[in-house]
This record gives sequence, C-alpha cells and structure tokens, in this order.
Amino acid sequence: MGEQVSAKTVKKEDVAGWIEKLQGDYAVIGPVSERGFTSYRRIGGPAEIDWGYGSTMIPPSKTVYVPEQALLRFVKSEDGYRIEEVLPRTEKRILLGVHPCDLHGLLVLERAFLGNIKDAYYSAARANVLVVGLNCQSVGDDCFCASLGTGPFFGYWMWQGPPQGCNALLTDLGDRFLVETFGEEGEMLVARARSAPETPADVGEKLKREAASREQIRKKLNTENLPGLLRRNLKHPLWRETGNGRCLSCTNCTLVCPTCFCYDTWDRAELDLSVIERIRRWDSCQDERFAEVHGGNFRSTREARLRQFVCHKLSYWVEQYGCFGCVGCGRCITWCPTRIDLTEIAEQIRVEEERR
Amino acid sequence: MNLQLPREAILIGTKEHAPDTRTFSLRMRDGDARFEFRPGQFNLLGLPGFGEGPFAFSSLPQVDGSFEHTIRAVGRLTKGLFKLKPGEIVHVRGPFGSAWPLDEVKGKDLLVVAGGMGMVPLRPVLLEVFSKRADYRRIVILFGARTPAELIYSGEFDTWRRQPDTTLLLTVDEVPPGTDWEGHTGVVTGLFPEINVEAENAAVLTCGPEIMMRFVARGLLLRRFSPSRMYTSLERRMKCGTGHCGHCQLGPKFVCKDGPVFRYDEVSGLADTVL
Repeated sequence: MGEQVSAKTVKKEDVAGWIEKLQGDYAVIGPVSERGFTSYRRIGGPAEIDWGYGSTMIPPSKTVYVPEQALLRFVKSEDGYRIEEVLPRTEKRILLGVHPCDLHGLLVLERAFLGNIKDAYYSAARANVLVVGLNCQSVGDDCFCASLGTGPFFGYWMWQGPPQGCNALLTDLGDRFLVETFGEEGEMLVARARSAPETPADVGEKLKREAASREQIRKKLNTENLPGLLRRNLKHPLWRETGNGRCLSCTNCTLVCPTCFCYDTWDRAELDLSVIERIRRWDSCQDERFAEVHGGNFRSTREARLRQFVCHKLSYWVEQYGCFGCVGCGRCITWCPTRIDLTEIAEQIRVEEERR
Repeated sequence: MNLQLPREAILIGTKEHAPDTRTFSLRMRDGDARFEFRPGQFNLLGLPGFGEGPFAFSSLPQVDGSFEHTIRAVGRLTKGLFKLKPGEIVHVRGPFGSAWPLDEVKGKDLLVVAGGMGMVPLRPVLLEVFSKRADYRRIVILFGARTPAELIYSGEFDTWRRQPDTTLLLTVDEVPPGTDWEGHTGVVTGLFPEINVEAENAAVLTCGPEIMMRFVARGLLLRRFSPSRMYTSLERRMKCGTGHCGHCQLGPKFVCKDGPVFRYDEVSGLADTVL
C-alpha cells in the first residue's frame, strides 16, 4: 500500500473544536451513551461522544451495511416494468471512535463484500465513509480480541502496512489524544485540528496503556489449528447438547456480529402494483428457514444451525477469506439469552480431542 | 458492474413434459448476441413481485441466442412463470456457477446418473457430448424418477439411444395402475449391475436428490470408481448468485459461485449434506 503513517497529538481541550470543524464537512457518527446504553449514531455535538464506552449492541460496520435497503425498483410502463437501480445515497460520513475489534470487523466484512466479486451496494455505501479508530482501554468480560490479534489496540502491521479503510486511529493518553493517520484522507482529517508532533513520551505512554489494557483481558480463545479442529469434530455431541439444549434460534448472535453478511431479498409492492421494490435485509443462519428449499431444509435442527455459526466464524471463514470471521468482540456471547459461548465450545472440543 | 440488476428476456415458447413441468425457451431482449454459458451453470430467473430463483440451463446456447430452462411448478415464482405467454418478459441474471468438467473427462467412459429433475442440468451434457461423440468413449445414462410420467425428455430417449456406443437405462419408483411400463422399477442404484463401463477409466456425472447421490457415490466407490472423477450438482437456497447473501453455504463452499458442480471429494463429509 505504501501509504504514509504519521502521528500527532491533540490536547483534549482542542478535541471539541476539531470535531465541530469535521461536522462542518461530514456527518459524524460516534458512540453515544444514553440511559446506560451505548450506540453508534450521528452526533449532535462533540459533548455527546462517550470516549470511554465499552461496547455497543450493534457494531459500527452495520451503519454501513444497514438492516434493510432497496436494491432496485420495478416501475410499471407501457410494456411491463422498467428496471431502475437503487444505489444508497452517499453522504460524506466519519465513523468516529471505532474500537479495534470493530475496525477489524469492518475490514473483515469487506473481504466478503468487496472481494473478487464486488457488491455494488456495499461499495456505494462505503465510498464516502472515513473511519477513525479508538484504541480500547475499557475491556469487558466477554472481550477476547487479544486471542485473535484484533485488539485491544489496533496492530495495523497485521495488514502488512496501513490497512485500507482505516484512515486514522486515536489513543487516549490522559490529557491528550495520540492521532495516527494512514494515508492522505487521514492526514486531511487531522489537519483540521490544533496538534503537536508526536514525542517519544507519547509513544511510551501509548505502550504503557496498551499493556495495561491487554492486562485486563481475561477471556481467551486458543486459535492454534482451530479451523482443522472444528472440521474434524462436526459430529461432536456438544453441537447437539448446546444447539438443541440451549439455543433458542433467536438470531441475536448473527444480528450483533460485526462480520455477519447474510441477507434475504423480497419484493415489496405498492397495492396498485405500479411500483415494486426489491429489498434486501439481514438474514440469519440461525433462522429455521434460512437453508430451506422446496421439499427440504438443509439445516432444520438448532444443532446444525449453531454448528454453522460457530464453524463459519472459526473455521470455514479462513478458507473463504484468509482470516477468521470472528474478531473477538464478544457480542454474540453478551447478547445470547442462554449465554452460549463459542470460546467455551471451541475449548471443550479441543480438550476432549487432546484427551482422546 | 451491479450483478444484482436483472436483464430482460423474452419468452419464445414453452414445451410441456407433464402438467407441472415445462421447458421455457428464452432470448435476451437487448440485441441478438449469443447468450453464452456452459452445461451445469444456472440463471436466476425472476418476475417483479415474485422474486428470483436459481434454474439450471437445460439446453446448450443456441445460434439464435436462445436458451432453455426446464421448470417444475412448485412455488409462487414457478407458478407465476407458468402463467406467462409467449412474448412476455422474464428477468434473467446470469449465467452463474461452475460447469461440468466436460473437457477434463474427454477420452473417458461417461456414466451419467440422474434422478427426477436432476436430469435438467445433465441434458446439455448429453447434447454436448453427442455433438462431439468421438471425444468420449462409452456413454451410459441411468435415469430414475418417481413415476414414468416424471421421466422428462422422454421424447428424446430414442435419439439418445441411437447415439453410437450409448446406453440409456430407466427406472421408476412406482408404476401407477393403468400405466404402460416395461422398464425397471426401484432406485437408480439398482441399475448398477447392468452398467458396462470400466471404472478405472470412467467419469461419473450425477444430479438428483442428495440422498440419491449419496447412494450413487457410495455404490460406485465400492465398484472402484474414483472419488476424484465423480461430479455432483447440488441444490441450495440462493438469492444473490454472487456469494454475498450467504444462503447457499455448504461448509466453506458457496454453492452459487464455487458450485453448483463439485467434485464429489470436495463436498463429501461436509456438515449439512448426506454426501
């Protein structure tokens, strides 16, 4: 990629002015906490941003890949229907304060949508989005990003150079933010702030805080030969015990996952059939009808559906896209009503295989 | 390029095989360019308000630009397609997916095993190998269906049988009272004792219900056919054709873009298949 990496610091008292300037040119979407609950939404002003937030229910990648959108429109004409393409509006946006797990979530999701075959809709929605990350110093109980190399601080060397799609990265250093930029667009963002060049003391403080953050992480996932381990254990009784015994098929795990990309399509017609829209909306492999065809269902049991979710994230994804489909954000665990935990499933299978 | 945008095709005509099964002949509306595809690939056909579904090509590309799909009316979309009259519009996206490896299996004996509507993607295979007959050795076709009426393309059976060094064996699960039937009854694997191809030098192309393909594959493995020269065409739910909607996933495979034609040993043993 060869894009230049630079680092500056911005004093906390100057941050509000910086963000207000950015709001002049961009819609700024950031973490806002209300009634004890944080979510990504367009901010009114810099004071709304919760810099110390933990996690959100819906990941920031899904402000780009939205729950429902029209793909095309059929408009009644003299000889049938005219086909009109409906690409998403591309308002200039900044996704601000994205934790490293979710930055990876976005980049991993993009391997699915912007790989060999590009999805025109994701492409259009992403085109005017700039992403500003925030290294994480508020590790939660379900976080296991360190096991997947996706956090708590963003190690952009993983991408063999600055990652395409992350424009700048913030680290809270107490009275100031360290702002690292990757490439021209990131430079342009920080150029709007009153800033000072990075000093050796800033680098030292960042390393100290990274170590402290890493220290907080309790949850682990052993990823060594994990794809193969799961592929060898597709008939393990744990799938049945957990799937049929505990899974409610509520689909929460897939809805809150930053990398889940599956969608369904359906046609929504005006009552007079003058306009028919083809809509896509998130679908879930945990839904009973997901793999249904005429005369059968390839995953009719909760056992099969849970196995699909876990094996896709931790095994199949690696073959499909060259990385894990899990970024260790822990949302599927947090939001599971019966606390099904994919790290426990993987660990139990590993322990039993080693014992055999 | 937006691969989710359909193009318009004109319905040229239909041919009825059974009250619920017809072959649709279509031609793209924009210009007369030949619509190119390979046997085994599929289109997503759609109608406004009815959505889209995947349908295998049942013909080869025709010189006049037309192509065929044989369709059974089982759901909303297919029933909608059955109401169309010649000259009306069908939306087409495609072609998508992998093709039968007809170049790789040149010089081999071909064993073609079809169950019911599984004959649809295999018909263009037969049409192509018959047109290049010298490139292949013996051809044995096993075709099973529930009843004699469900043996589609029966009007072509005599033509197939007249090809050099070609055998067609038929079997049905049941013969309804009053039906004239002189062929075999029972599952398609029951025909195995009659096949006269050399296992070591044969390629197998099979399409049908997965449970049928399971027993076909296992039965042939016992007869020393090679798992790396057995090919299957799989069915899964598909919405996009581009590997994005996720429905067709089978283990690490996307059936819509990595398949629908797979080598048997690529998909055997994966989760959620009986292969």
